Amino acid sequence: MGSLHPILQADNIQKAFGAVRALNAVSFAVERGEIRALCGENGAGKSTLVKLLTGVHRPDSGEILVDGKPRHYRSPRDSQADGIAFVSQELSIVPHLSILGNIWLGHRDVPLLHRRQALRRKAAEALSVVGLDALPLNTMAGTLALGERQLLEIARMFARDARVFLLDEPTATLSDGEIARVFDALRRLRQAGRSVIFITHRLAEVFDICDTVTVLRNGSLVTQAEVAGLEREQLIELMLGRPLGQMYPPAGEPGGATVLQVEGLRIPGQVADLTFEARAGQVVCLSGQIGSGAGEAVRAIGGLVYDMHGTVRVRGKRLVTGSVASALQANVRFVSEDRARDGIFLTLPVRTNLVATQLDRVTRAGLVSRRAICERSLSACERVGIDHARLESRADELSGGNQQKIAVGRSLTDEDFGVLLMNEPTRGVDVGARAEIYALMRRICQQGYCIIMMSTDIEEVAGMADMVITMYRGRQVGSYSRSDISRSRILADITNTAAAREAA
Amino acid sequence: MNASTFVRPASAAREKYRASMSMHAMAVGCAMAALLVVAVLTPGFISLPNLIALTGTLSLIGCVAIGMTFITLGGNIMSFCLGATCAAASMLVAHLSDAGAWLAGLAGVALALVIMVVQGLVIGLFRANPLIVSIASLSLILGVTQYVAGGQTIYVSGDALSMLKSRVLGVPAPLLVFVAAVVVGELMLRFTRFGYKLILVGSNFEAAEVGGISTWRTTVAAYAAAGLFTGVAGILLAARYGSGSMEFGVGFDYSAISAVLVGGTAIGGGQGSVLRTMFGVVFIAVMQSLLLLYGLDVQFQYLLIGLVVLAAILLQVRSKS
Repeated sequence: MGSLHPILQADNIQKAFGAVRALNAVSFAVERGEIRALCGENGAGKSTLVKLLTGVHRPDSGEILVDGKPRHYRSPRDSQADGIAFVSQELSIVPHLSILGNIWLGHRDVPLLHRRQALRRKAAEALSVVGLDALPLNTMAGTLALGERQLLEIARMFARDARVFLLDEPTATLSDGEIARVFDALRRLRQAGRSVIFITHRLAEVFDICDTVTVLRNGSLVTQAEVAGLEREQLIELMLGRPLGQMYPPAGEPGGATVLQVEGLRIPGQVADLTFEARAGQVVCLSGQIGSGAGEAVRAIGGLVYDMHGTVRVRGKRLVTGSVASALQANVRFVSEDRARDGIFLTLPVRTNLVATQLDRVTRAGLVSRRAICERSLSACERVGIDHARLESRADELSGGNQQKIAVGRSLTDEDFGVLLMNEPTRGVDVGARAEIYALMRRICQQGYCIIMMSTDIEEVAGMADMVITMYRGRQVGSYSRSDISRSRILADITNTAAAREAA
Repeated sequence: MNASTFVRPASAAREKYRASMSMHAMAVGCAMAALLVVAVLTPGFISLPNLIALTGTLSLIGCVAIGMTFITLGGNIMSFCLGATCAAASMLVAHLSDAGAWLAGLAGVALALVIMVVQGLVIGLFRANPLIVSIASLSLILGVTQYVAGGQTIYVSGDALSMLKSRVLGVPAPLLVFVAAVVVGELMLRFTRFGYKLILVGSNFEAAEVGGISTWRTTVAAYAAAGLFTGVAGILLAARYGSGSMEFGVGFDYSAISAVLVGGTAIGGGQGSVLRTMFGVVFIAVMQSLLLLYGLDVQFQYLLIGLVVLAAILLQVRSKS
């Protein structure tokens, strides 16, 4: 019974916000026991589709069917009653409640919780599906690691008889080990006959775990296909609507003068010992997972870590440890991976953002020259490719790609050399804009800069780096120049697995 | 040539931003207009004694509010001790009035400056919570002045400060002082490097730090500016009552932060201006004056100001989302 119809189906759905057509005649179906990837660039309509399926928005036309029956959701509550559960990126786990309390939080039987064996049993069952059964039910949720919280969130939905799980970039903030656990949980969900809709920016994950893939582009359905019959390049092309071509620009000429020398860099508890050199025109990648210390090392070079040991020299001149001012004087500038936290000034206009860190250059005797600000912000716009019309917009109205351009743009100075430190240069930047950021990074290199970047994305590392330094738990594992870079070796180094090395 | 004419094409996003900003401006504008209509229609509002009293209050609270604006803009929310600082300054001014108005005034400003700079150092260098520091300072100031002055009121000798009771072309001198303070404050914000840094630090402290802006210096400078304007308010206070006493400063902080918020400066910092605060001050002062004219009790004043501040802060939340 019921197997004739897909468990969840969207039929010819249209949705517009004002003049913007977000979804155009999209049909889409999820079968029982499948993991379906939902792919597309930012703005392709993925989140709109999810919001329609979960009842946050209502379609202008078209229908949503569950078990073949049309449903008209007015709120997420209605869709949850039908077993459609949304697992968001921002987890809604309450840290001061136990695991059991979190699972049944907001459920109508909660006041009787401690007496109801059935609820305990059901919670335990859900936890074993996601692989958290080793933990006692009264463990405080606040003591769980990020990945475990993600699992708990899934268990919570499972215990409430969810049949379709919508996961929006569940792996964005997790380490590889944690991702493996989440994937195991998803596979067990599949075994239990539940369905999963999986949104991700990481294409490798589509091939790792998904059975089928739906690709959206500009609000229209591009394809629905079995993952097994699909090539990676094909998938990217489908998402972009054009050949991937030059995702990564060609590397520049090696052999500039040595700009940066890092010797014996040590941060207690985070980085054990790091030594390397970088030449003008080079992109040097520190590659490592969360906990490898690579990101901290990059910050330390920029003077942002106080208890750093070792020396950093720029053109032979030693920088003062833990001093941003000293780094800036040597034209060493840091572009953060977390733009909202310490990257750019979201509430201020783009123009102010572009001159924020170079106020001295637009000031005379303590007075700011508006004219100088205009000239400088315009030239920065031109260098990084931001539309002039957006100069007066607030920074938080721009896309992730444009925000990243702001962060890079304000770090560029008139000097003919410099060091740009970038952590996760394309986090939160969609596939199309990524190519622009990469091209921009190359252009900057050609101007005599050298770029030290840290990335957990191996593909990005392999595509951009002129030199890769792999790190594992604060230690430098290997160092490869352009011709020796191989993904499998990097992966083996940063996960500390010899097995993967042999597979190469 | 005006530099801002360089780039002016409108974008949808910018329109939206403008719309959200102008919503506040419109709400405040409408409320001001309504208030002024009521004011003009109220018998006794447009009379010389009332207007002089009004401008006196307005200038006094206004100068404190300008100081408060610098604290709020820099991301330090507010201070609870500006009223006490102002009163302490007024006592010193009164005490030194024998030695001449200028010297007394300078000493008053210097005292306020020192009190605020010390707080700025504590907050900037040790990352102490600004609200707690200001509450502790309030207590310290009250204690020290009580010890030094023995709880007495100190009278201004003779007519040392008569300059501030005079009128220039019919305009009361305190009002001129306030207008000058607004101009100076606004110029500091808009055209100095300090002003830019203050807004940046208020907008995103971490990003400012990463960007190489010395956050503690900026914080100290913000508190110094607050001290400067509060000190000026202290002189006005001494001139107005002909004496200095700790009693006089009570409630200034609340009126000042009300004015800042009603004017539309973001409570979290990073957005706002002295000019906006000026509108807020006028609004609050006219409202208080009207309440007095209608013979309403003090509790009604508190009630109404409370409601207005609540409305202002809700409006901020709305325009953000």
